[in-house]
Parts: sequence; structure tokens; C-alpha cells
Amino acid sequence: MHISEGILSGPVLISGIALAAAGTAIGLKKLDYDRIPRAAILSAAFFVASLIHVPVGPSSVHLILNGIVGLILGWGAFPVILVALTLQAILFQFGGITTLGVNTVIMALPAVFCYYLFGRLVGKRPRIALPAAFVCGALSVFLGAVMVGLALMFTEENFLKVSYLVVIAHLPVMIIEGTVTAFCVAFLKKVQPDMLRE
Amino acid sequence: MRTNSLTRYGMGCRKVLGFMLFTMAFVLWTGPAMAHRVTIFAWVEGDKIFTESKFSGGKRVNQGDVIVYDSEGNQLLKGKTDDKGEFSFEIPKKTSLKIVLMAGMGHRGEWTIPVSELEDVAGPQIEITSSRKAVRKKTGKPPEVSHLSSNEIRLTVEEAIDKRLKPVMKILVALRENRPTFRDIFGGIGYILGLVGIAAYFNYRRKSAEIGGKKTD
Repeated sequence: MHISEGILSGPVLISGIALAAAGTAIGLKKLDYDRIPRAAILSAAFFVASLIHVPVGPSSVHLILNGIVGLILGWGAFPVILVALTLQAILFQFGGITTLGVNTVIMALPAVFCYYLFGRLVGKRPRIALPAAFVCGALSVFLGAVMVGLALMFTEENFLKVSYLVVIAHLPVMIIEGTVTAFCVAFLKKVQPDMLRE
Repeated sequence: MRTNSLTRYGMGCRKVLGFMLFTMAFVLWTGPAMAHRVTIFAWVEGDKIFTESKFSGGKRVNQGDVIVYDSEGNQLLKGKTDDKGEFSFEIPKKTSLKIVLMAGMGHRGEWTIPVSELEDVAGPQIEITSSRKAVRKKTGKPPEVSHLSSNEIRLTVEEAIDKRLKPVMKILVALRENRPTFRDIFGGIGYILGLVGIAAYFNYRRKSAEIGGKKTD
């Protein structure tokens, strides 16, 4: 889901950077010191998750884990994903430095959105929490794919066509991420239920 | 009561940490199989340019668009990679060529062939073939060995070298894809820990300043 360098036009890149900066500022404000270790672990998980790959059609897609990051951190997803993406860009050459802003927004905005939708539900009984976690994991990937379509729309490609392609390519990832998110929530409910409640 | 909840918190932390370590071990064990990046590699062979495109990790780019630009950025030609990620074309113009691969969904790779690589190849070859044709026309049969011009010898040698170099080129292509190593992965995690350290430092300074402020009051 990383957009490479040299594809997007200037205005898209700049608005991406502006949105990412705003989100990161809000995230840092909400991230008090007690939640920093949590954020770091999630950042490391997000950083490494991109190495788990599923080959699909002409492209290959990888795990993203933005759903679980958003679920646990809310707005904190922005700084966490920005840090992980910066490291991925420098160390793995995924995406690029100029597209950092856009890529952060693509993955962090759905995370925050899903936090507001499902943040309360996962604190409830397992019968409600686990399906909610699954949908949260899958939906955050789906929304990320739509964001890729939106970003590419302003350059050359047709929005519906690209979004359709990216969503189709990420269908397996959506299912895997939903399952992973559900397992994480089930695990956290057992050992660390405070993590899921504000 | 407080210590009790603290130890519980600590144990929970340990469990979470164990879970994370397990996940990480799983990730490392399955290995950095593929990376989310696309590369195109192009080389000159005779009067043609060959390109090979793959997602790093080895998956070939099937039906990716290859667009060739000259040094001024004008589009010269466009083609699609086959299922082996290969695409070849004749040298369209003697200029440095920028070959761009668009693999869809925001994946883009680029390779530039400098004009110096084309200069030796494309020009004389055309001359030679025409001179060879001229000889053929005159005598009605291929030129004898003793009549080979220095140009023709050079061409033959070049052809032979190209043929021999092909496997070397393949190896170079394989070497060029630098997939993420363990060093990269641990380096990244180290950076994240470092950031936590910085946060801890500022938190400590803020706290000690608060305590200091209270003392002076």
C-alpha cells in the first residue's frame, strides 16, 4: 500500500504532508508518557508486518496492521505509523521520502476512523468484541485501499478502476488482518484488558 | 492493593512482551520473503535493449507498463512486460534513455541508460550492415574472411561478448535486488527503542523539573 516516489503530483504530496503533520500533532498530544511503550511495540509490529507478503495477481500485497494500531492507540496511530513508514522507506526502500505524508495518511486515517467506530465495541463481551475486531481489521485495510485510489485519482488513473484493483488485491489481506486483529483482541482481553479501554 | 495491581500489570506486560516476541520470531522465521518495491533493470545487447522487471523478492511483473523517455522527457515508446517480467525493444534514438516501469497501484521503478552505452553500439552497426550488403551486392556471395574490415571484426567480437555476458547480466540483475536483511529489521526496531528512550528522557526532565519547582516553593 506504499505509493512509490515520482507518481503523485505536487499538490497531492503537499496536502498529504499537511494532513499527516496535523494528525501527528494531535496524536502526540494525546499520547501521554504511559502509553509510549505500547506505541513503540505497535510501531515495531507495524514496521515488521510489511515483510509478510501475499502474492496477488500482477502485484504483491503485505500485512498492514493499521486496524489494531488504531484500535489500541486512536489518534496515536499517526505518529506511530509515521515513524514505522519512515524506517521502512529508509531501510527497505518501500514507498519513498516524498510520499511519506501521503502514505501515512493512507494508512493512519482509516486507523483513527476505525478507532471511533469500534473502540468502544471491543471493550464489551467477547461475542460483540471479536466480530467487531475482525471487521475493524478488514475495514481499515479496505479504507486504506480506497485512500490509495483517491491519491492516484489526481494524477492519471481512474479512481473507481484503481480503487477496485487495490481492494481486490487486498481481499486476502483483509481477511488475514481481520483474523489477526480478532486474535490480538481476544489475547489482550485475557491478559491486559485495560489496553482496550480508555 | 497498589503493589498488587502493579505486579499484575507487570505480569501482563511480560505476557504481552512474550506474545510480541513470539510474533516477531514467527515473522523472522517465515523470512523476509518479499518486499513492497518494484525494480526494473535494463541493459544493451546488440541494437536492442532488454529489460527485466520484478517486485523485490523475485515475483516478476506481469503486464506492467514500460515507458521509455528520451533525455528531454519525451515519450519514445511504450510496451508491456510478459509473464517473465521481460520486455525488449530496438534502440529508438541515440540519447540517454529513461525507462520507467509502472506496475500499477502506485508501484513505479526507473532505470536510466546513459548515452555512452548506446554510442558504441547503435551507430556503427547500421553502417556495417549496409557495407556488408554492398559487398554482397557486388560479389553475389558473402565476403571472405580476409576481406573483413576492422569494423566487422569488432562487431563479431561484440556479438560474442554480448552472448557470453548474458549470464553475467542475469546474475547482476539477481544481485541488484537488495531485499531487507536482518540488519535492517533489527536496526529499525532499534530506532524505535531509541525514540522511546528520548521520550523517557524528556518525561524524566519534566518530572524532575516539577519536583524541583515544588521544593523551591
